[in-house]
Amino acid sequence: MKANKIPIGPFHPLLEEAEYFELTVDGETVVDIDMEIGWMHRGHEYISEMKTFTQSIYLVERICGICSTSHPIACVHAIEDIDNIEIPLRARYIRTLVGELERIHSHLLWLGLAGHFIGYDTLWMWAWKYREPVLEMFEIISGNRNHYGMMRVGGVAQDVDPAKLIELHKHLDMIEKKMVMIAKAAKDDPVLRSRLKGVGVLTHEAAVAYCTVGPTSRASGVPGDVRLDEPTDAYDLVDFERIVLPNGDVYDKLVVRVLEIIESIKICRQCLSKLETVTGPILNNVKEISPGEGIGRYEAPRGEVFHYIRSDGTNRPIRHKVRAPSYVNIPSFKASCIGIPIADALITLASVDPCYCCTERSIKIIDKNHDSCSFDLIKASREKTEQIRREINAD
Amino acid sequence: MAEVEQFMKDMGAKIHAKIEKKRRLYFNVSNDDIQEIAEYLFNKIGCRLSTATAMEMYHGIEILYHFSHDKTGQYFCPRLVIKDKKNPKVNSITSIIEGAIWIEREMFDLWGIDFIGHPRMEELLTIHHPGTVKNPLRFKEAA
Repeated sequence: MKANKIPIGPFHPLLEEAEYFELTVDGETVVDIDMEIGWMHRGHEYISEMKTFTQSIYLVERICGICSTSHPIACVHAIEDIDNIEIPLRARYIRTLVGELERIHSHLLWLGLAGHFIGYDTLWMWAWKYREPVLEMFEIISGNRNHYGMMRVGGVAQDVDPAKLIELHKHLDMIEKKMVMIAKAAKDDPVLRSRLKGVGVLTHEAAVAYCTVGPTSRASGVPGDVRLDEPTDAYDLVDFERIVLPNGDVYDKLVVRVLEIIESIKICRQCLSKLETVTGPILNNVKEISPGEGIGRYEAPRGEVFHYIRSDGTNRPIRHKVRAPSYVNIPSFKASCIGIPIADALITLASVDPCYCCTERSIKIIDKNHDSCSFDLIKASREKTEQIRREINAD
Repeated sequence: MAEVEQFMKDMGAKIHAKIEKKRRLYFNVSNDDIQEIAEYLFNKIGCRLSTATAMEMYHGIEILYHFSHDKTGQYFCPRLVIKDKKNPKVNSITSIIEGAIWIEREMFDLWGIDFIGHPRMEELLTIHHPGTVKNPLRFKEAA
């Protein structure tokens, strides 16, 4: 049978960010994959060299709408690393609180999309419904549901109003109750387990070889987690577990994220409790940055965000390098997608969480003779789930 | 830190201009030694290649690799300086680390650095940008 090529993207309703995937299929099996990026190259690193250090924080906040506090945290860590700047204790708890709330809302976003892709629209609607209170918490803390503008070199820009702490605790109580329910439903559902177990496996060896990060690598038994490996902010002051699973399939990636939501809630609760008692300044006055170089990193929802900044002693960086987690996770598709059925390709591509949106999607299969036919990836994915559901119900 | 001390003991002859900070080790290496250093960091002590930063300075083009030792939070950063700015060439580390493929392609694309031995030396970010300046992050007079 001759191999056909399936192009996805670069501007495709499946993809929130512009990326291009070309799947080569032999019958129903994916035999090769190629990825191309660069469609959204906006020159952030170059622009940052023309901004002051403070302006750079706002610039990197706009790299990603979902990780809109992970980049600023990594950026201020890099600047603080140049001069070993300490930040006040209260600011450490606020940074950690905002970072963990971002992890909860990002993982819920992914959970909803994953449910939608495989025909679990109830999971999609629940996950997104309970993401709303997290965004409300951001609004209470910062005034914004996204792009919070909280980070500054030497601390944070805004304090958390002590009068709002009870309200934040109530939001967290409600989210926790629902998350425990969703975690149980996701872990115990036999159809979900059958649909995702053994699908799109990224082996431990491949995860190491491709230098993957975040839940993508932790679901393959690679334990890296910046929060525990190099604890900054309040991560050495709070109690939480490192979530690592061994199998590398989509199911393990789902369970890692679900369990991380529960751990993040634990961290947020400890931070809120500490903010009731820890008082003091939230910002050290940093007047200038010495010549030198600094590395800043943060465990974003998708994995390690890396920033490198070099200063010549002026108020602007002379070099600002940014590496987002998807940049190292996406190449691992070469290891996880080859050999899988086409019906599993969509959820495997989605499993590293490369910012998918959930509108209607349809692609064309183009063969070597330029014949084409319509092929709906999400339809194929949902049909496979439905088939598993029928088989389980028949038993 | 034990890993740093052992690294210095094993590779000390190959590294120069060492700068040590808390959990950071920056040092210069030559093009002839970069593969051996990468092999040691990646395969022997289990570092992960986080990324690499290229930058153009007046004295040459620098490549600063960032290897993360996740067990300890230590960063090893070998720095390679290419003096020939007109025709920058260095040895690729993709034969040792598969994850370096995109990282080196990006440096080829934005700085014009040729990585000898790379399996697919072509643009990564500007491949579909017709009419854009070649190697956009180089100084204009050298580009």
